[in-house]
Amino acid sequence: MTNTPIEIEGQPMKTLAYFLLFLVLAFGVILLAVVLGDRGAWYFAWLIGTPLIVLVSAAGAAWLDTQEEAAAKGAAHKAP
Amino acid sequence: MVNGTVVDLSRVQFAATALYHFLFVPLTLGLSFLLAAMETVYVTTGKPIYREMAQFWGKLFMINFALGVATGLTMEFEFGTNWSFYSGFVGDIFGAPLAIEGLMAFFLESTFVGLMMFGWGRLSRGQHLAVTWLVALGSNLSALWILVGNSFMQDPRGAVFNPTMMRMQLRSFPDLLFSPDAQSKFVHTSIAGYVTAAVFVAGVSAFYMLRRRHLELAKRSFRMAALFGVMATIGVITLGDALGFVAARVQPTKLAAMEAVWKTEQAPMPFNLIAFPDQKERVNHAAVQIPDLLSLLVTHSLTGTVPGIDALEKRAERKIRNGIPAVEALETLSQDPGDAAARAQFDAHAKDVGYGFLAQRYAANLAQASPQEIRRAADDTIPAVAAIFWAFRSMVGLGLLMLAYFVMAVLFTLRNVVQDRPRFLQAAVWMIPIPFLANECGWLVAELGRQPWTVFGILPTWMSVSDHSVGYMVFSLAGFLLLYTAFIIVEMVLMIRAIRSGPEPAHGGPVVHVAGAQEPHLGG
Repeated sequence: MTNTPIEIEGQPMKTLAYFLLFLVLAFGVILLAVVLGDRGAWYFAWLIGTPLIVLVSAAGAAWLDTQEEAAAKGAAHKAP
Repeated sequence: MVNGTVVDLSRVQFAATALYHFLFVPLTLGLSFLLAAMETVYVTTGKPIYREMAQFWGKLFMINFALGVATGLTMEFEFGTNWSFYSGFVGDIFGAPLAIEGLMAFFLESTFVGLMMFGWGRLSRGQHLAVTWLVALGSNLSALWILVGNSFMQDPRGAVFNPTMMRMQLRSFPDLLFSPDAQSKFVHTSIAGYVTAAVFVAGVSAFYMLRRRHLELAKRSFRMAALFGVMATIGVITLGDALGFVAARVQPTKLAAMEAVWKTEQAPMPFNLIAFPDQKERVNHAAVQIPDLLSLLVTHSLTGTVPGIDALEKRAERKIRNGIPAVEALETLSQDPGDAAARAQFDAHAKDVGYGFLAQRYAANLAQASPQEIRRAADDTIPAVAAIFWAFRSMVGLGLLMLAYFVMAVLFTLRNVVQDRPRFLQAAVWMIPIPFLANECGWLVAELGRQPWTVFGILPTWMSVSDHSVGYMVFSLAGFLLLYTAFIIVEMVLMIRAIRSGPEPAHGGPVVHVAGAQEPHLGG
């Protein structure tokens, strides 16, 4: 399948748009970190800590899936 | 002069509505992020069980959210109806965070709650996940603004008193938003909500595991809640310590009451593990103490001291004497705002004007206030020691109990054996009310400890109320109690019904029931 001319022309613009979006996001995050790090250390800790707690919790669930799959495989191997 | 019974009834009414409301709020704060965690796993792994989890816990979230909003709405109006002088006095400061909270709650949070509930199947996975995260963020940010307003009442920063307008005016919004009390209180309260949600999810999951129902959902929910809970509990304890450190600097009377310290002792001071404070005699009966621990906990050193209540009362007497000329100057300025001498007198004593207001309750003519009247006003600056002491110890004790519970929960669930520990699972079900009790105790410590002020050191509670009749207050209080009790009953009935029904299958497939399992029997 070949790309149409529109897709070829559109791809760099999309990449540039993504680049600018992430640039603005990075600028915002750095600004937030500077302001909060200076004046609001506990707010900053909450902003960092909450996603961390969520991610650890999510990782725990993914790990349980792995444990269950391993247990199921082990049971299948043992079965005659 | 305001009727003392009306003051007490106004306090009871606000306390009752706030305590009811605070039964719903923490669960909303924490459950929203747990939902975000579950849906994040669903979007990243694509496994339908996590969608089922997000939808099931989302249903319970919605029940709690709706009743939380219903109980919270009346409180905003209560400021105007029962605390009209307070509202006028600090409206310039308190109004701003309250308005932002309204915008957050009713525009950001409520809009996205609707999208979260009705967006399944209509939004893409990524879009729905973003909506769920925004609900969590919106819920917690609306709590932020209420707590910023509350922190101003505990530690008034970023504002000045305008003697010609007779009210506080906002001087620095960043000072208000970034006050140490606001920061530590918001994070402490928000994370206490995480703990509440974790205990709730773990408890309901334990109930399913005991009944051998919805095992896949229950095991995964329990695992996520246990990890979420153990980290959050450590966070709550850390921020509790930070709040105590702030209180030592800005609200020494609250701290002295929390620790039942009647007299200042040499460092390092002992910690009263158990005691029965006697406010009349100013002693603790049957005290069990741990040497040196109080200095270490409160000042983070062995050389720091905690001022005793006797010393704080003497300090209050001095402040009252210094504040009386400021109040007298205010009376002159109210007649003639251009009186330069009165303005100079006010400026010289402005920092203690709130203490002068305290004396007004007992001395009709401030210029002739007697030493007894001043001592009586100074005695008012000491809050109810026994109630605060025990509320604080209950909160801390329950917090440590939850930490121990979550450590065990994590150990069992990581080894994937929790479903085979029936006694632990039964304990997990019984743990469900514990964080709610701890939250209420924490609220009592914060608000009883602030007395006799609505705005600490500036505006006494007795001045803040509206001029209602006792009959009106009794009638409205009875109405609120009946209505809010009905809300609690409705919440319990809806929750129990939803839990007994269990989750709906994610893609129309059957929900697996384990053969021979008992039918659930919750709440009766």
